[in-house]
Amino acid sequence: MMIVAGFFLTSFFLVSVVIAETIKIPVASPFTGPLASFGEGVKNGALLKAEEINAGGGINGKQIEIVLGDELCDPKEAAAVATRFASDPKVAIVVGHLCSSATLAALPIYKEAGLPAITPASTNPEIGKSSPYYFRNVYKDDFQGDFLARYAKKVRNFKKIAIFYEVNDYAMGLKDAFVSQAKKVGLRIIGAESYMSETIDFNAQLTKFKMMRPDAIFIPGYAPQATLLISQARSLGMKCAFFGADGLDDAIMLKNPDADGLFVTTPFLVDRGGAMVKEFVGRYQRKFSIEPNWFAANTYDAVGLAVAAITAAGLDREKVRAYLAGISSEEKAFQGITGATYFDENGDCLKAAFVKVVKDGKWVSAEEQLQ
Amino acid sequence: MLAAILDQSSLFLQQLVNGITLGSIYALIAVGYTMVYGVIQLINFAHGEIYMMGAFLSFSLLSGFFGFGLPFGLAVAVSVLVCALAGILLDVVAYRPLRRAPRLAALITAIGMSIFLQNLALLIWGGQIQSFPQNAIPALLSEPALQLGDVVISWLQVVILSTAIFLMLALHLIVHYTRIGRAMRAISQDKTAASLMGVNVDRVVSYTFAIGSGLGGVAGILVGLYYNAVYPTMGYFAGIKAFAAAVLGGIGSIPGAILGGGILGLAEVFGGGYISSSYSNGIAYAVMILVILVKPTGLFGRHLRDKA
Repeated sequence: MMIVAGFFLTSFFLVSVVIAETIKIPVASPFTGPLASFGEGVKNGALLKAEEINAGGGINGKQIEIVLGDELCDPKEAAAVATRFASDPKVAIVVGHLCSSATLAALPIYKEAGLPAITPASTNPEIGKSSPYYFRNVYKDDFQGDFLARYAKKVRNFKKIAIFYEVNDYAMGLKDAFVSQAKKVGLRIIGAESYMSETIDFNAQLTKFKMMRPDAIFIPGYAPQATLLISQARSLGMKCAFFGADGLDDAIMLKNPDADGLFVTTPFLVDRGGAMVKEFVGRYQRKFSIEPNWFAANTYDAVGLAVAAITAAGLDREKVRAYLAGISSEEKAFQGITGATYFDENGDCLKAAFVKVVKDGKWVSAEEQLQ
Repeated sequence: MLAAILDQSSLFLQQLVNGITLGSIYALIAVGYTMVYGVIQLINFAHGEIYMMGAFLSFSLLSGFFGFGLPFGLAVAVSVLVCALAGILLDVVAYRPLRRAPRLAALITAIGMSIFLQNLALLIWGGQIQSFPQNAIPALLSEPALQLGDVVISWLQVVILSTAIFLMLALHLIVHYTRIGRAMRAISQDKTAASLMGVNVDRVVSYTFAIGSGLGGVAGILVGLYYNAVYPTMGYFAGIKAFAAAVLGGIGSIPGAILGGGILGLAEVFGGGYISSSYSNGIAYAVMILVILVKPTGLFGRHLRDKA
């Protein structure tokens, strides 16, 4: 009996020793719930990067371990997950969150704990300004909304636009940026309707828009609602175009025959990248048997940045923050598969946006891009 | 000028069509609430989850989720049947043991069953919105049945409305012209007296649950098809709406539930279409509150004598 107990004790001890030897990198995102498919890309991108780092010997001989924090894109859950990470003294940097509302809920907790975080996907403009500890390797919505308004006007030559936006930090920031640029380029906004994330019936508002005959409907929001909205518009007999931003960049759109012709902005296009991207896509497809989406690509680079920071600064939160803040010019930029990443004084970065279109159940790059 | 008037009138007509469709769905769910309440004075909060199960079962049988696919008609029939059985099971497992307990105990159990079933669905099917496979649904349903200028009525909307009307008529006949219907009415008037007259209360309650849950299942399938979206929390929101519809019409009254559903659906659509989409739910509930303020028992509610 004693021997058995002793054996268990030793093995327990051994296990804990092994755990102590790894460096934890927490990744927070919705891994279940309606936006789980976005989180799937985040998870895969992080795991692939970790696997590569570990195969190359880890960080100074220590293996890294990705710790997933599932927050369902819910601000309340995000705050709980953030508290868990912030109170773990072995955590020096967090990669996440995905939804802007979740990131904004976690932000004060990381700030309070002096824990640096890097979001691969949250685009709300407020994030960088609100905390010196928050960084991102994705563009902001003021850039994205601005870009979409110019694209809609100059490339697509739309004149009248109707807007459907979800009530959350991401969609509203995006809508505001779009509207202000639309005014400048002379794009008419004929109406803006809001919806909540649990909305499934858009018929009343669509009927209203139908009579105004817009050239296109802009949907700042997420894919699960957008796919319903587009189908309902088509069954009401609406023929107008639809477009959105990176929140609609999901495979669910490809299953909807009504979504043919939908175009979205995205930070990452497979066929726009060089040799590094092709290699990444190949490895990703071999491991997960699907094509990487932009969440995967950006998270892959965000984990890369986190690893670079820990390698240079150790597990001291303040030093990690200082290291990231020091990546402040094009010469010092982190070179990843999504291009060069370097931060401005708010921790935000400038990245290119691309346009892709749903065509015959596939995403294809738009023939005409806007630079 | 003329074009503007035409636009306005077709806008109104289209909203009317949207509102009636939504209202008939609410009515179908509300009837399930009201029947159970009428017979055993229990607000069955798990009713919305039965509706969700109906949608998920038909989705699974059509898409081959369980490893086999069924033709459309059969899948619908099986789903409705399973929903009816699930309703009976729900009563036998969760509510029957509490028949003599204080009413609050059964109410809390109902909320518990609602949460349990919602999480069960989350475990089985996951949290993402699922869509029906395109090839499994009769193509006719998505085509327009009637097109008048800008006003479009799809076959699916026709099917939803006619199914709702047909089932309501059938229900009326069952409640008023069959033995089991008479027994239901007897129990709703006085449970003890009915059982003294030889009415098997448990059996009648089971029938009530079966019919109410079957109707809920039908509503779930129709909604799943209409929006082409099935997800675990769908029953929660629809359940609250339908409950409001039942209260608005006078809980316990079947015609009241139908009218309440219609009013709520129209209020939501016209509120969203003409006032503001952010407040469409708020407007629907405000209408309900106004009615209750003026007539606390709801539109068709009976004035219950005080049993205390």
